[in-house]
Amino acid sequence: MIQLFAFYMFATIVILAAVMVILARNPVHSVLWLILAFFNAAGLMVLVGAEFVAVLLVIVYVGAVAVLFLFVVMMLDIDVASMRAGFVRNAPLGFAVALVLLAEMVLGFGAYRAGGLALGTPAAPSQALPGLSNIQNVGALLYTRYVFLFEMAGLILLVAMIGAIVLTHRDRRGSAARQDIARQIGRKPVDATVMTRPKVGEGVEL
Amino acid sequence: MVDLSQYLPILIFLVIALGLSTLFVFLPMATARLTGVYNPTAEKLSEYECGFPAFEDARSQFDVKFYLVAISFIIFDLEAAFLFPWAVSLGVTGWVGWTGMMIFLGILAIGLAYEWKIGALDWD
Amino acid sequence: MNFATSLMLIGAELGLCLVALVLLLLSAWLPRAAARVLTIAAASALAGASIYTLALLLNGTAGPDANAFGALLRLDAFSAVAKLLIYLSTFACLVVTPSFFERRGQYRGEYPVLLLFNAVGMSLLVSATDLMTLYIGLELSSLSSYILASFARSDMRSAEAGLKYFILGGLASGILLYGMSLVYGFAGSTNFDAIRTALAGELGTGALFGIVLVFAGLAFKISAVPFHMWTPDVYDGAPTPVTTFFAGAPKIAAVAILTRLSFSAFGEQFAAWQQIVAFVALASIVVGALGAIGQENLKRVLAYSSINNVGFLLIGLATGTAAGVSAMLIYLAIYAVMTLGSFVALLMLHDADGVPMETFGSIAGLAQRKPALAWALLVLMFSLAGIPPLFGFYAKLVVFQAAVDAGLIALATVGIAASVIGAFYYIKFVKVMFFDARPSSDARAEVARNPAGHWSVLAASTVLLSPLGFLLTPAMERWAAAAASALFLTA
Repeated sequence: MIQLFAFYMFATIVILAAVMVILARNPVHSVLWLILAFFNAAGLMVLVGAEFVAVLLVIVYVGAVAVLFLFVVMMLDIDVASMRAGFVRNAPLGFAVALVLLAEMVLGFGAYRAGGLALGTPAAPSQALPGLSNIQNVGALLYTRYVFLFEMAGLILLVAMIGAIVLTHRDRRGSAARQDIARQIGRKPVDATVMTRPKVGEGVEL
Repeated sequence: MVDLSQYLPILIFLVIALGLSTLFVFLPMATARLTGVYNPTAEKLSEYECGFPAFEDARSQFDVKFYLVAISFIIFDLEAAFLFPWAVSLGVTGWVGWTGMMIFLGILAIGLAYEWKIGALDWD
Repeated sequence: MNFATSLMLIGAELGLCLVALVLLLLSAWLPRAAARVLTIAAASALAGASIYTLALLLNGTAGPDANAFGALLRLDAFSAVAKLLIYLSTFACLVVTPSFFERRGQYRGEYPVLLLFNAVGMSLLVSATDLMTLYIGLELSSLSSYILASFARSDMRSAEAGLKYFILGGLASGILLYGMSLVYGFAGSTNFDAIRTALAGELGTGALFGIVLVFAGLAFKISAVPFHMWTPDVYDGAPTPVTTFFAGAPKIAAVAILTRLSFSAFGEQFAAWQQIVAFVALASIVVGALGAIGQENLKRVLAYSSINNVGFLLIGLATGTAAGVSAMLIYLAIYAVMTLGSFVALLMLHDADGVPMETFGSIAGLAQRKPALAWALLVLMFSLAGIPPLFGFYAKLVVFQAAVDAGLIALATVGIAASVIGAFYYIKFVKVMFFDARPSSDARAEVARNPAGHWSVLAASTVLLSPLGFLLTPAMERWAAAAASALFLTA
């Protein structure tokens, strides 16, 4: 009973929040709605027993991706007024696409009602090991059978890191504004001051 | 279906937290409305920034340096996310799993060394 | 799962990864000027990987049961041939890259590193026998491609190209992933052979949706119509060496995995995807031929030409026969040489300040100024048009031959008609270079000198495309037939 209630609560909020992501006029609000959608999707994952996926959704999407989205939104110079003008101009086309999608969804749902969905049974290696929790099962497959793909995923992360640096990092090592703490601490009075004893009537030659 | 009763405490916690935070926000508003004089004018409702009207939109573009930090955070965050299932399933995966994770960490350590050396971790 | 065997089979990728990681560290520690040395190291790594792959292919290690890591990857003749093509064209791109960026002071050691990771991703892609390997390989390759597209980051058009490519590429990956999850849901496995078994018999609507979405996602990656919109913009905006790369290796890899997926995973459902592939082939041929006509920018013309060529490639796939696939592979190899040669020629067209000459107007009368370059371009363009004595004609011939043999007469007829239309703009190149007067207000500087690397790549591709190329046909036919039959062994 409580599961059913929780399912409908999470599912409704996911859909509403997803709709609001598109409808919100302020991009920052869209991001906030997106976070809500992710959070409730994590709730749905808990309901189907995929706790690890739920944790990932919260950690990766809600945390990191939302931060990143906010940054991107902040960094882009979006002129809301001109965007709205484009919205009005493209609205008929948008409605046409939406109608097509709606028709497809209705058709798909009809096909579903007709009983056309016969899901495959998972192949033997991907069936759950008895007596292990969800997260242990994920680990048992990911780090043995798919260990090679796991390493390649590491390479993808590395490429993403290189990309961010290549595209955004500006080398400031030459500039005067840079603080080199070791140099700062290692500085001695001798390096900075000169003692002179000028004669009366003569200036100091620097 | 999974046994969801183990999540009951956190559900109760969430409900209480939600209730309390709503109360903290709306109770003062309601009290003020009911007990005080409510008489807004355009001047009273205008924004106030050190005695001046606000100069610009609160959303302004900022330096791309923040983006680099956020990306690095996400990458290492994902790396950490891979560590959870690895840690709990080490008994099943054994040396294969251990070596695999060490190589994975090695790849990202190379990335970290590169990032460090190139100066992407320095703020200025 | 035997790790030693697996590691031996992916030795080429492993070597490339290690070299790339070392070069990455070196690029941080060595001064910027060392980027050229890193490029040479990366190029030698690619050459080594080609030799390794060739050795595996020749000594018979590469075979239909050379599975690595369970059944995640397979090193059969098909993937070995595709890998060789990928490594060699990436190698050629590396040769012509540094001087372009060095003229602008933008070259840095990360470029060869990204190209190496891209090559690793592509070779995973072509040897994938599992949907997950496919996706990981595709992402590794795409992600580095997005970065390469905006490598000249101070250039507005390059940044725009990278952003467009990234957003549309992300969308395509999403579509592909959605299709793959549907296929997995209905088949119960991500392994190609297991999917083939599970989907045998009558196809349900859900699984059909999955197959269609997978094809749509991959059609984007090979820039086939109707998913081609990004191609002219990205090819035009990206720095020319990067465009040279995009038109070659990634396209080879995507076409190869599309072929493998079609025949091994969806092989039982030929009737379902044949219509899609035939439609996409036709649309690409027609749009590619017509779209280029109004263009003034040479890079955009070549972008449409590549869309057009993808259409011809897909004709080979649409036949559904081993002969068709073998014809497609021959076309793929010749296409790689043609596109490489023509983009390198374009790369060589710049004045002394390094400003590229990218419009028809700027190459007017090139034959008087730079006869060697003009004649090489003539060979390349006539070859792309498929004019008989040149090797490009042979590529079109084998594809149409296969289509006619498989009974796709209509497809072949439209293809031939469209290649006549397409010949228009290839011949326009030649007309402008040889018969138009050079602009009289010639404040325009001369075409500057080019390094020997460019000339050697251009000369090699011109010689391969000249009638001398026909000497290679017996060898090519043998390799292509071996590669194609590797896909049909499971059938």
